[in-house]
Amino acid sequence: MAADAPAIVATSLRKVYRSGFWMRPYVGLDSLDLRVERGEIFGFIGPNGAGKTTTIKILMGLHRATSGEAALFGSDHRDPASRAAVGFLPERPYFYQHLTARELLRFYGQLMELPDGLLKQRSEALLERVDLVRFADVPLRSYSKGMLQRVGLCQTLLHAPDLIVLDEPMSGLDPLGRALVRDLILEERARGCTVFFSSHILHDVETLSDRVALLVGGRQRGIGTLDELLGGRVRHVEVRVSHVPEAFAQRWDVALAHEEAVIHVAPDQLSDVLGHAHALEVQVSSVHPVRQTLEALLLDEVDRARPVDRKQMGVLA
Amino acid sequence: MKRLWALAINTFREAVRDRVLYSILFFAVGVLALSLAIDDITIGDQAKVVRSVAQGSVDVFGSIIAMFLGVSVIHKELERKTVYTVLSRPLPRWIFVLGKYAGLMLTVLVEVTVLVVVYSGFMLIRGDPPDLTLFVSMLMLVVELALLTAWATLFSAYSAPTTAAAFTLAVFVIGHLADDIWLYGKQADAESVRSVARALYWGLPNFEVFSIREAAVHKDAVPWDRIGPGILYGFGYTVAVLGGAMAIFQRKDVK
Repeated sequence: MAADAPAIVATSLRKVYRSGFWMRPYVGLDSLDLRVERGEIFGFIGPNGAGKTTTIKILMGLHRATSGEAALFGSDHRDPASRAAVGFLPERPYFYQHLTARELLRFYGQLMELPDGLLKQRSEALLERVDLVRFADVPLRSYSKGMLQRVGLCQTLLHAPDLIVLDEPMSGLDPLGRALVRDLILEERARGCTVFFSSHILHDVETLSDRVALLVGGRQRGIGTLDELLGGRVRHVEVRVSHVPEAFAQRWDVALAHEEAVIHVAPDQLSDVLGHAHALEVQVSSVHPVRQTLEALLLDEVDRARPVDRKQMGVLA
Repeated sequence: MKRLWALAINTFREAVRDRVLYSILFFAVGVLALSLAIDDITIGDQAKVVRSVAQGSVDVFGSIIAMFLGVSVIHKELERKTVYTVLSRPLPRWIFVLGKYAGLMLTVLVEVTVLVVVYSGFMLIRGDPPDLTLFVSMLMLVVELALLTAWATLFSAYSAPTTAAAFTLAVFVIGHLADDIWLYGKQADAESVRSVARALYWGLPNFEVFSIREAAVHKDAVPWDRIGPGILYGFGYTVAVLGGAMAIFQRKDVK
């Protein structure tokens, strides 16, 4: 592991799947470039089928990339040793149902070759942290989804990794479960750990992430801090007007039913609206730029990518 | 080594907590017990018939359990997605395959031991104590099951349990008929039949290499000249088949 290498670097990562009787190719991930620095919380967002899980599976050695390179802490991701300091929680918690939580953690600790004393100490501390001590000797087959997710977090953090990769960690959890995941992510970051997580719950991504990458149709559509992605982008401008004459109302589609009205205009139309209002002596009481949200950005990018998607994500002709 | 042991013990634990395994084992013990009853309805050398039926039961049920466990060993991990949190660790895939296989063999070994203990107990009750040949024949059965389990693991690495079971059963049947297939091929008129027989004989294992059942049933001396080569053949073939399973699994995308 290189001492100052970024936690994750992906260069032109591409994955083509083949399916059906004729093994028709589908592009699941196309030319992904990614760099996750040490110590940051990195959110990975995109609609279903965007390629988030594919990226994570490639990084975790579960899928083979068709082309491109990826490295974890400077080591080639194809080398299993590159994952020595990585903890991974898959999208749904799939664990051996015949084991109890304690047995499961012991099994994973042995796979990580943790010394017995440390393994016991870490297991108990984590079970305590996620409030599972009472159920630690109950087989996992009788656990609820939330409890399985908590066991999953324990196995992710068992060896005190330097990077944790979480695929949809809040999916299907109740508010308490989501709060626990959020707290653990922040605790891990405070410890110096890098956190890379995908999520559909954009509020959590906005709250937690230092940087975000947006993936649509297997392609990266944006990467940066929230300010970089959203800060300069005004979605529309709300202009509050009153005493509107008919000519103004018709041009800007204002309902005349009320004395005061709010017009939503595109940023590049603002000067026209204000000029027209000034000419017709319309009173403008406020001009409020509405900033882009992550959700709106995602929807915009999905709309923008659609024609491309059909070519890129569909069957390669 | 610690990781290999962890995988093996987990596989063993999963197998012994499966009720189906116990059902097969209880059925096997039942058939062994029934072999005692044959005593009363058999004419001629009753002891030989009883030994033959009992030994056959151990062979058949040992093979059934090896196939039952082996054909789903890898596929079950893929289907239940438990493999995600295992292969995402610094664990080469060949260790995963070897660990699963070692766990299966531990289970098979325990199961054969149980059957042999029960068998020996019954024989002692009958006043016909088991001899060395019986135990050596059981050792050879374990070598045979090691190879059969390796084939099941190989098929499990790339196909669903039903398909893997069909392939493994085919290997099991052809493997036990290998000598007959060879003779049939030699005597066939058509070149195509001879070619198929040759391909089956050389391409698939010959399980009869491991069989000293006749000697055990007749309480003959151990045919030591067959034991060493048989073990070597079984070991070499098992390593080759497991190597194939590892190579297949190495390239597999975990869906």
